[in-house]
Amino acid sequence: MSPGAGNGASLAPQPIPFAAPAHVRLKVEQASYAYSATDRSAPKFTLGPVSFEAQQRELVAILGPNASGKSTLMKLLAGLLKPLSGRVEVDGMEVSELEPRARAQQVALVAQESELLFPLRVWEYVLQGRYPYGKRLRFESDEDCLMAGNALAQVGADGLRDRWMDQLSGGEKQRVILARALAQRPELLLLDEPTQHLDIGGKVELLRRLRRLADANRYTVVVVTHELNLAAEFSDRVALMHKGKCLRIGSPAEVYQREVLEEVFEAPLEVEIRPSGRPRVILSGNH
Amino acid sequence: MITDETGRHMAIPLNVERVVTLAPNLTETVYALGLQDKLAADTTYCEIPPAAKEKPHVGGPQNPSLEAIVAMHPDLVLASTSINRPQTADALLKLGIPVYTSAPHTVTGMLNSTAEIADLMDAKDQGAKLVADLQQRLDALHALLQDRPMAHVLFAVWEDPLISIGQNTFIADALRWAGAESVITSDQNWPQVSMEEVVRLQPDYIVLTADHLKAENATQGADLSTRPTWRDLQAVKLGRVVIASDEMDRPSPGLIGAIEQLAHDFHPEVFGAKPPENGKVKIENGRYFATVPQSMKERNACAR
Amino acid sequence: MRPLTPNRIIGICAGLGALLLIEVVISLRMGDYPLAVRDIVATLYHGAAGRWDEIPSEFKLVVFGLRLPRIALGILVGAALSTAGAGFQALLRNPLADPYVLGVSSGAALGAMLSLIVAPHMVGAIQFAAFAGAAATIAAVYFLGRRGGQLDSATLLLAGIVAASFLSAIIIFLLTMVTGTELRSMTFWLMGDLTAPPPTTNVIGWFGFLFLIFVVAAGAMYTTSSDLNLILTGEQEARHLGVNVNRVKMVVYVAASVLTGLAVSVSGAIGYIGLLVPHVMRMLFGTDYRLLIPTSAIGGAIVIVLADTLARTVVAPTQLPVGAMTALAGAPVFIYLMRRRMR
Repeated sequence: MSPGAGNGASLAPQPIPFAAPAHVRLKVEQASYAYSATDRSAPKFTLGPVSFEAQQRELVAILGPNASGKSTLMKLLAGLLKPLSGRVEVDGMEVSELEPRARAQQVALVAQESELLFPLRVWEYVLQGRYPYGKRLRFESDEDCLMAGNALAQVGADGLRDRWMDQLSGGEKQRVILARALAQRPELLLLDEPTQHLDIGGKVELLRRLRRLADANRYTVVVVTHELNLAAEFSDRVALMHKGKCLRIGSPAEVYQREVLEEVFEAPLEVEIRPSGRPRVILSGNH
Repeated sequence: MITDETGRHMAIPLNVERVVTLAPNLTETVYALGLQDKLAADTTYCEIPPAAKEKPHVGGPQNPSLEAIVAMHPDLVLASTSINRPQTADALLKLGIPVYTSAPHTVTGMLNSTAEIADLMDAKDQGAKLVADLQQRLDALHALLQDRPMAHVLFAVWEDPLISIGQNTFIADALRWAGAESVITSDQNWPQVSMEEVVRLQPDYIVLTADHLKAENATQGADLSTRPTWRDLQAVKLGRVVIASDEMDRPSPGLIGAIEQLAHDFHPEVFGAKPPENGKVKIENGRYFATVPQSMKERNACAR
Repeated sequence: MRPLTPNRIIGICAGLGALLLIEVVISLRMGDYPLAVRDIVATLYHGAAGRWDEIPSEFKLVVFGLRLPRIALGILVGAALSTAGAGFQALLRNPLADPYVLGVSSGAALGAMLSLIVAPHMVGAIQFAAFAGAAATIAAVYFLGRRGGQLDSATLLLAGIVAASFLSAIIIFLLTMVTGTELRSMTFWLMGDLTAPPPTTNVIGWFGFLFLIFVVAAGAMYTTSSDLNLILTGEQEARHLGVNVNRVKMVVYVAASVLTGLAVSVSGAIGYIGLLVPHVMRMLFGTDYRLLIPTSAIGGAIVIVLADTLARTVVAPTQLPVGAMTALAGAPVFIYLMRRRMR
């Protein structure tokens, strides 16, 4: 780790810092994936190999320009894709090999929106998060109701319980969708660009909530996002993706180096370190 | 155990006291045989003779109420392939009610049906007499017409679209008895015909069927001479548009009267009447022979 | 937070079932044949006890030969169509879907037509041919409606509409070719007819067989009701929660199609039921499919028995086709529902 001094505009991947032996929730080991147009042609897009780890109470942000492999990495983390090489483990279990319901008990992929066909109450919606537990045709138990209630409380949406889903505001709906994911009692929370439809107030509120969930409720949260500054402000670590490779992993201050950012995002940027120690990215004067 | 005209087997009681008819032509037949006292019920469509309207009804011919039929406690039900659905007969047989279905294709077939029905209803003599009378009239006609050339006619069941009759229908057979041949030869029962074909064939006569109500209006023939394409046909120009009585629609004893009327229209010279004048459209309707039985005279009065 | 419990489902179904029972009793009383209540009761009692000889033959005929079979068939057809409708609405993600939208009824109609032309008197031919036609259409639309190896709602709907149009065209072509007798039977069948007698003499066995098929198909659909609840909030999200979406879609497709084929092959095409009954049940009892499936089934039975009773008594002795009654009542209800949605 080279504090401060920019190591030239090197885009070579840097070695991963050794993680302290706290409880390792998520372990990505040399995972790679490739998309091809057909089975026989050369891959159109390759991801990886990527390696990193995340512990409980950590909020990791995955950043990068479009087509840098963020979504593919997210799918690998969610177990929706099986890595062509390497492993993705949550609590020691390879996610892509888990049976879907077992996987849903470990990993919750939070939806961005919900397109309901028929009217539904908030508590019914959140209760659906309990589906991975019990039999396929199931009736919710008292414990399920308890978990759902806890989930609503964790996102501060307890008062929305009896409201209709289609009468909620954008921010309220976001909370409820999050609550449903939390009702799954997952170890790992994954969010793919959750702030897209929100205004700045909503974005901040969501990130704050995710931070609180990580700190107070010990979730491991991985967020794919475009928001460089919000990621800098709220995450413990940041992974910078570029053309399918994970260029840098580390604390925001470590990763946000001006030359690297300018190269990756192809925009004139400047990095400021604020008093809190967290960096802030701004457009530089010369554009 | 007997077999009806559709091949169904059934047992019929020796004494048939209560009969239900499911078709207007069969109702007419029962009245023509003089057996109306045994008629327990008929359909809502049975209007000939007018007394039939007063009988209890079991619904329409297409979908009669099975319960209503059972409620009549019939010994025998009469049906006809010309208007009833086979499912109705099947359902009644399944319930244990004998159903005699007649399948009239020719005039002679209709006479045989009539005789058979009379026999089933324990009135063999009446049946034989009626059939003999009708046969005699047909034979008389035949004698008069056998040396005459057949008139070529277009029998129009419906004008718009133009629907005529097939070779295998009883109407086609009836026309032959009247000394005419349908210009349309088709195996379908109700073939749809194009006007072009009619123009090509140029029939000698156009025959339309009288709607019971329209007969009062008597404007149907006039309509043709104002219609395009129709008015250019030879038959229309010469005033040779004939309206057949609606007896032609039904295979019943009244059919004979209708045949006689048509024979009169197609071959007026044979009967000593003048042919219609050229250029004028004449409406001809319901002139019957003097020897017509009483029941038919009633009907004629109604037709006017 | 009051989640759905099995007790609540049983309670509501018992209530609806009681309504159905009352309706059946009233319907048994109505008809062209004059039959007093005590005669009906006596007939049923003797029949249940096996003492057939003690029942006057005409009573036996009317109660066991005409009214009961008709009511039983009505219950079966109503339940089957409504359950199928609920299933298709979930599968196609479209509240306006009805059991005929995927062409199953056209296939059944074509099969029935062909059997009427080829073998009009063969016992059981029309039911068998109609079901065969339905099955063939189900298979064809399934293969056409796949996208990337899975059932896709939009593609399925398109495939179904294409199949329905094609089959209808063939039916119309046949209708212009056939002679009078078959035409009459066909028109009746197309409008819905609950009076067709069972093809076997063992009436109880026949109905038992039909109800067995119903129970298996509806039961299979019921096992996916928790899954369906999730799928209705988003297919991807349901997958992430562990729902095997492809398998569920397959099961619902086959079950709903079998139910539709069953109904159409014994009674012709009775419309509006599959579309409206699930909607009304949703309005009354909510959208949870664990409750919607059984309530739609019983609700459909209630509606058909009502429609059929009216059809055979309203202008007696003239018999109206059941399909005409459901359309007459169904259209205004449909319009009312549409307006409610817009509000």
